[in-house]
Amino acid sequence: MSGERTMRDWYAPLEIYTLSSWLRVAVVVNICLLLFDYLKSDGYEYSLAGIALMITLVYSLPDGSISWRRDVSLALSGAVMLVGILSVLKEPAGFVIWMESWLIVPGAISLYWISSPHVSRWNREQMELSKIEKGLARNAEHSASYQRIGKHVILAHFAFIVLLPVIWIIDISLSPGNALGGSLGDSFTTEHYSKILGGDQFWVWMTNSLIVSIGTTIAGLALAVPAAYAFSRFKFSGRDPAMFSFLLVQMFPGIIILVPYFMVMKTLGLLNSHLGLILAYSVTALPLCVWMLKGFFDTVPRELEEAALLDGCSRFEIFAKIILPLSLPAIAVTALFSFLAAWNEFLLALTFNTSNDMYTLPVGLASMISSTGQSWGDFAAASLLVSLPVVILFILFQKFLIEGLSAGGVKG
Amino acid sequence: MVSVRYEKVTKRYDDGTEAVKELDLEVADGEFLVLLGPSGCGKSTTLRMLAGLEDISEGEIKIDEARINDLPPGARGLGMVFQSYALYPHMNIENNLSFGLKRMKGEEKLSAEEIKSRVDEMARMLGLSDELAKRPKELSGGQRQRVALGRALIKRPKVLLMDEPLSNLDAELRHQMRGEIRRLHEELGCTTIYVTHDQIEAMTLADRIAILDKGELQQHCPPMEAYNNPANDFVKGFLVKHLNDIKETADTLFKS
Repeated sequence: MSGERTMRDWYAPLEIYTLSSWLRVAVVVNICLLLFDYLKSDGYEYSLAGIALMITLVYSLPDGSISWRRDVSLALSGAVMLVGILSVLKEPAGFVIWMESWLIVPGAISLYWISSPHVSRWNREQMELSKIEKGLARNAEHSASYQRIGKHVILAHFAFIVLLPVIWIIDISLSPGNALGGSLGDSFTTEHYSKILGGDQFWVWMTNSLIVSIGTTIAGLALAVPAAYAFSRFKFSGRDPAMFSFLLVQMFPGIIILVPYFMVMKTLGLLNSHLGLILAYSVTALPLCVWMLKGFFDTVPRELEEAALLDGCSRFEIFAKIILPLSLPAIAVTALFSFLAAWNEFLLALTFNTSNDMYTLPVGLASMISSTGQSWGDFAAASLLVSLPVVILFILFQKFLIEGLSAGGVKG
Repeated sequence: MVSVRYEKVTKRYDDGTEAVKELDLEVADGEFLVLLGPSGCGKSTTLRMLAGLEDISEGEIKIDEARINDLPPGARGLGMVFQSYALYPHMNIENNLSFGLKRMKGEEKLSAEEIKSRVDEMARMLGLSDELAKRPKELSGGQRQRVALGRALIKRPKVLLMDEPLSNLDAELRHQMRGEIRRLHEELGCTTIYVTHDQIEAMTLADRIAILDKGELQQHCPPMEAYNNPANDFVKGFLVKHLNDIKETADTLFKS
């Protein structure tokens, strides 16, 4: 019966499937760690050997037809584990243990699973149909939880890597003195925060940043929304070249327009002013905003506007009453984007606004690093305070953002 | 008396293709006219020119002897039902229905109470009274179709235009809505132009049908006459082939 043969060909115990994917992930992680070893110029012979053994193991996992493959893979798993253990014994430091556990743990799991009764029985004998059916049921039952475990292990590692700098900077901002060293959570003080928040400077910078960023958001949207609507709906001469040139402008590195920009601002008397920065930022952010919004407007069906035309709306009414309310998520995303761009911008702000009371936050932060001494504690506290408004904005706009990023989901 | 007249109307696109060629067509007061033809025959364009959604390249369209070529769409006194319904997704049903009423100008301007009573009346007529607070998303296909119909009718239009309004519905609902559209037409007596490629719809709904091919009018007559007396080979082919298809399907079904 062909059905039975197909089942026999396709069936493998869950352990084999899971191992084959987990080991591949472990190989990738180990290659990353090897790179790290190399950059630290530590010895990397052990890691290299471990990776080679692991790759061989992935390709020699038991396949249910050749029984000696099981013995080979058992030997390889043991070897992988051994390499890891040897490496730890050579240098038993905390970080090395973590690194080498990426060899030891996969090796141990392979050893355990390949020698488990399920795998050995499947490997040894021609299985009956009923047993295969039972095995398949067992696979289905457990595969979801195995996958969940695997995903969470990987995610936890990545989350740790991403969060490490943040945790570090929080620790520095809460530690007394201005040193970068020390272990986590050894001492606690809020002196840096009270110094930053108590001084006038920070608030001046914060006000400047807020004025410039909010101004940029409003000015940018006021320019981008109508422009994007026109690009999306009307046919006019020069439409396509204009869209293209928008993209083209985006491709120049910002620094090459810095000098001409400076001359223009100087001539207009806009140096050391909020307006100068607002103008510069909203124009810089314009191309991307227009492209984003045009993409969204394109998804609003034309028939909606035709229906509104027949209901007696003028072009402007259609825009205000139909298009704008429908595009709120997209507009929110664009607004946040221009706000962020303005909030984080450094180069133009540094060049245009040279007096201390016109600094924006990024420039102000940079000015805290003087050539004589680094006050890292103050700096860390200030950085965290600078990121706070952005985090709050993201939390507030979360719902909108997700809707806006999955734009096109709005259907009539 | 609300009649519509096309006089030598031509639609020419920028690239020179002619979607409609020198069309002469008259729709009498209270008549239900179905524009019928294969896809790409210019029937939708004919309708959209009347609605003001397409420019008229040559010729004139008159409603009650008044030339409407240059009137904006909202001022022509028309109601239109779109194939995709085109309901305003961000408004509830009540606002969808009253959106056009709130934009009436001059003598036709309505007070808030009048708008309210008209919305209620229309909702009752279409069986939507319980759905007024809902958004279009929350309604079924048939209900959305009703709202679209209600939105077109609530302004008491001189002419009601429908562009393949039933093609997004399943067979059962289509049958049901067909009956409903006919009933509403008889109740309100509103001059109606209906675009479709579906011959059953044309047969069951129309007082007269206008068969178009490649932008030219082939025959304009009551539906049965086109079957009994096709004006030319195209009409004959278009209608008879369809009947033969139905007959063949029925034969194979019942033979077994």
